[in-house]
Amino acid sequence: MDYVIQSQPSYSVLEVTVDPGEQLVTEAGAMAWMTSNMKVETSSRGGIMSGLKRAVLSGESFFQNTYQAEGGSGTIGLAPGQPGDVRAYEMDGGELLLEKGAYLASTPGITTSSDFQGLRGLFNEGMFILRVSGTGTLFFNAYGDIQEIEIDGSYVVDNGHAVAWEPSLEYRLTRAARIRSFLFSDQIIMEFEGRGKLWVQSRNPRSLADWAFPFRGVESDNDGN
Amino acid sequence: MHIEIADNGAFGSALVSLNPGEEFVSEAGSMFRMSSNVDVDVTTRSRSSGGIMSGIKRMFAGESFFFSRYIVANDEEAEVGLAPMLQGQVALIECDGKTRWVCGGGSYLGSTVDLNIDTQFQGLRGALSGESLSFITVEGVGPLLVNAFGLITELEVQGSLTIDTGHVVAFEESLEYSIGKAGGSWIQSFLTSEGLVMNFEGHGRVYVQSHNPDEFGKTLGPMLPLRKR
Repeated sequence: MDYVIQSQPSYSVLEVTVDPGEQLVTEAGAMAWMTSNMKVETSSRGGIMSGLKRAVLSGESFFQNTYQAEGGSGTIGLAPGQPGDVRAYEMDGGELLLEKGAYLASTPGITTSSDFQGLRGLFNEGMFILRVSGTGTLFFNAYGDIQEIEIDGSYVVDNGHAVAWEPSLEYRLTRAARIRSFLFSDQIIMEFEGRGKLWVQSRNPRSLADWAFPFRGVESDNDGN
Repeated sequence: MHIEIADNGAFGSALVSLNPGEEFVSEAGSMFRMSSNVDVDVTTRSRSSGGIMSGIKRMFAGESFFFSRYIVANDEEAEVGLAPMLQGQVALIECDGKTRWVCGGGSYLGSTVDLNIDTQFQGLRGALSGESLSFITVEGVGPLLVNAFGLITELEVQGSLTIDTGHVVAFEESLEYSIGKAGGSWIQSFLTSEGLVMNFEGHGRVYVQSHNPDEFGKTLGPMLPLRKR
């Protein structure tokens, strides 16, 4: 298998060439184009329950697509729904934690499952995050530029900007004693502790949605009711 | 203090490295990553300028009411990552103190604590066109960060130049400027849907953005569910 990530980081597209017999698992809906000898099989990988868990709990698709090439090698182009960076992560039996929606594709030796985040999930992007494990290559994506941070000690990330982190890092959500403010609406932050890598995105899709909201029209008396 | 601009493309951001004792100010809410030895103080003032009133003035300028002030909490190096909300580039302007810089509402991202920041109202003309027409003035010596919707282009004005207000990011106050209509009359201005423009005269630098955030908002607005009255 060969891959190349084009036009990073703004409008990243992942191009993967698979040899006959090789497989690539992708998030449903990510395929932008492919050579015509690529065959797809759609399944709720790992069974209905695991598909349901994936969809309901961690915001990924119920179905995942498995692509393989027939009669020669084939190429597929994958583009995430939001413009931004795509990163490859080589896994060797370890684990990686992914924020909601960050999963793009992986080789078949990699499995995903939901990880309960407890109450802190209420204030975060969701109650569950995606726990990725196995051996192979994982591709994840984000809205904006992805920046890799080596943490040895502790580090602070604004809520909604964390994309992926190694399980050796612990995190907690806090208003942070270090942020002094007389406001109620101050930032909730994620504080990571430990030793490991963290990836953050330089934009937050939720803030974009919040920005666009005031531009909507006003309901007139004739509408509805 | 050292500032690195990351990804000079669609999703620009700035990483500010601070030495012990150094301070930096940003628009509140633009911090997306930082080392844990930074104290954040959310304040209405940048340095000497104003209290709550200047906060209110800034709110009208299309900026957040508040500034975040970052202070290194111990005697180690610290870092603060700043990013705007919309897609676009981030640019670093080294203010040399010879002239004030003026930022369009929403274009100010951050600055060193040594720079004085204030808000300038452009009166009723802004209200007539529906475009936000308040400015943030920046005075002193030190680095200033601005953000744009889209690409930032630096223009050197020699003589005169007309720029749509929605595209102005920042300019040197050595330039004379007046705000007027794009067309000859209000009716013509309305028909061409070119709102207000800024006419610059003299010599100085202007940063412009390739896209107008308001126009983008007006494209998205009608596709969103209506607001209840």
